[in-house]
Amino acid sequence: MLVSKNPGVNAGFKIPGAPLGKRPTLANNVAPMVDDPLLRAQNLIRYYHGRQVLHGIDLELHRGEVLGFLGPNGAGKSTTMNILSGVLAPHQGRVSICGHDMTQHPRLAKGQLGYLPEVPPLYLDATVDEYLQYCAGLRGLDRSQAAAAMVKSKKECDLTSVGSRLIRNLSKGFRQRVGIAQALLHGPQVVILDEPTSGLDPNQIRAVRATILALTQNHAVILSTHVLSEVQALCSRVAILHHGRIAFNQRIDQTPDAMQIHLAGAAPGLQWDQVAGVRNGESLGNGRYRLEVTDFDAAADAVTRLAVEQNLALRELSRDASPLEQVFVDLTCNDESDFA
Amino acid sequence: MIRIIALREATALFRSPLAWSVLAMAQFVLAFQFLAQIETYLHFADKLRKMPEAPGVTEVIMTPTIGVSAVLMLFFIPVITMSSLSTERRSGTLALLYSSPVTSWQIVAGKYLGISALLAVLWVIVALMPLTLAWGAAIDFGLYLAGLLALFLLMSTYAAVGLMFSAMFAHSSVAAIMTFGVLSGLWLIDWATRLGQDVTLFNYLSSLNHFQRLAHGMLVTTDLAYFMIIIASTLYLTTWRLDGDRKPL
Repeated sequence: MLVSKNPGVNAGFKIPGAPLGKRPTLANNVAPMVDDPLLRAQNLIRYYHGRQVLHGIDLELHRGEVLGFLGPNGAGKSTTMNILSGVLAPHQGRVSICGHDMTQHPRLAKGQLGYLPEVPPLYLDATVDEYLQYCAGLRGLDRSQAAAAMVKSKKECDLTSVGSRLIRNLSKGFRQRVGIAQALLHGPQVVILDEPTSGLDPNQIRAVRATILALTQNHAVILSTHVLSEVQALCSRVAILHHGRIAFNQRIDQTPDAMQIHLAGAAPGLQWDQVAGVRNGESLGNGRYRLEVTDFDAAADAVTRLAVEQNLALRELSRDASPLEQVFVDLTCNDESDFA
Repeated sequence: MIRIIALREATALFRSPLAWSVLAMAQFVLAFQFLAQIETYLHFADKLRKMPEAPGVTEVIMTPTIGVSAVLMLFFIPVITMSSLSTERRSGTLALLYSSPVTSWQIVAGKYLGISALLAVLWVIVALMPLTLAWGAAIDFGLYLAGLLALFLLMSTYAAVGLMFSAMFAHSSVAAIMTFGVLSGLWLIDWATRLGQDVTLFNYLSSLNHFQRLAHGMLVTTDLAYFMIIIASTLYLTTWRLDGDRKPL
């Protein structure tokens, strides 16, 4: 039987894809926050062809925070990100970056913003260096600043070796990194990345994730993605957008936690909500249960004791890999209008 | 900022085979026309010499050459301008411009100047060829410069109209067709008056009328204003179109 009183440090558990113990978020090593958010969006409303697609989005992002922005396709993610980055204007509401209002002082606000849209905005006929030079110019960097910024951002995105290559001839992973490099070039306070790892192979995904992780010290980052494990690996906060509303917005270490256990032997009528640290439980069949827990460690201890007291064999106890997935599914699934 | 966008536009244009093929074809067609015009002049040279106040080399060779190049621009300029903003829209690079601290006006001005750089080369090709006559003949430089000014204004106008349609449509071929349609419409709009009807509005709208007066050496404020008004208003509409992408309608 694989079990421990302290599952957080025991590496012997069977782990279906999920790391153990402290969840691998950045929440633990986030830089000290200052009071003023770097990005603030208030009551964003946007219509498309008479149809309201955003219903009052409120967001705040502080230095050192990485916000994972989730939502089903068509929920309004890209619209929101376009509004946050000044590509679209909202019908109502306001966005401010580092205290600069996007409508009233767009230049100041956009000077502090780096944006990678879903499709990287690249000129295929330019070399990486020419492209970055152009982006530096657009952001108002002079020649010497641009040169220094290019060296730094190429290093950050591991592009030094391809500076003189035409973007047309680069692989998708490199192109994506060129897209990230342009977003970081001018040292913006706020970086918005729309699906930065989509369509990349596993090695490229690792490289892009490492780049994003390195950003978190000095920037506030918004990361839109469909990959929930990516949010768990990179983000300190998660927001789920559904039908143009923020349906969920929490620090990732406060998102609901869950465990899966496998008890051999009959366990009739177990009252899971009576077990310490457990909110409720459901049977998955064949002695397997999924428990929603409020305190993982306490619940693990209690389940172990329960197994011993009731003479049940505890064959497996692991953190549920997909608590976030459950939240996502609960909030957004079974909604016919998604397919309308 | 405008300079940076202009530089990027000009670089992209000169990197495309399109620019070079346009320049090559323009050179070829104009050379043919120029030589044909010289032939015509030589053919009538004796008769012309006997005429009092006979038209000179400039009038017989240069002005028609500039006139033909004006017609060529109807075809070439829509092709040059068509992808300027439409390709940026289709490939998503407009988002880069929109999320940068750049105003719509700066984008439009940069694009326009970038296109103008290629058009300047085209203009110089037209200007240099007749100038070779100066080695062997007396040139009426006033008339020559007036013709070049007319061509310059016409090309600038065409570029502004082309840029506007390029901002409007994501498909560059649609932008080209629309530009060509409108420009040839403006060129021919006074045909109704040739059938005997005198419609002053059509006369005024016709770019051919304004161009011809200028090309024949008549510097009239109305003609200058005509081109200026079209350039200013189409560039304004282009800016308005880009603003419209962002601002709620």
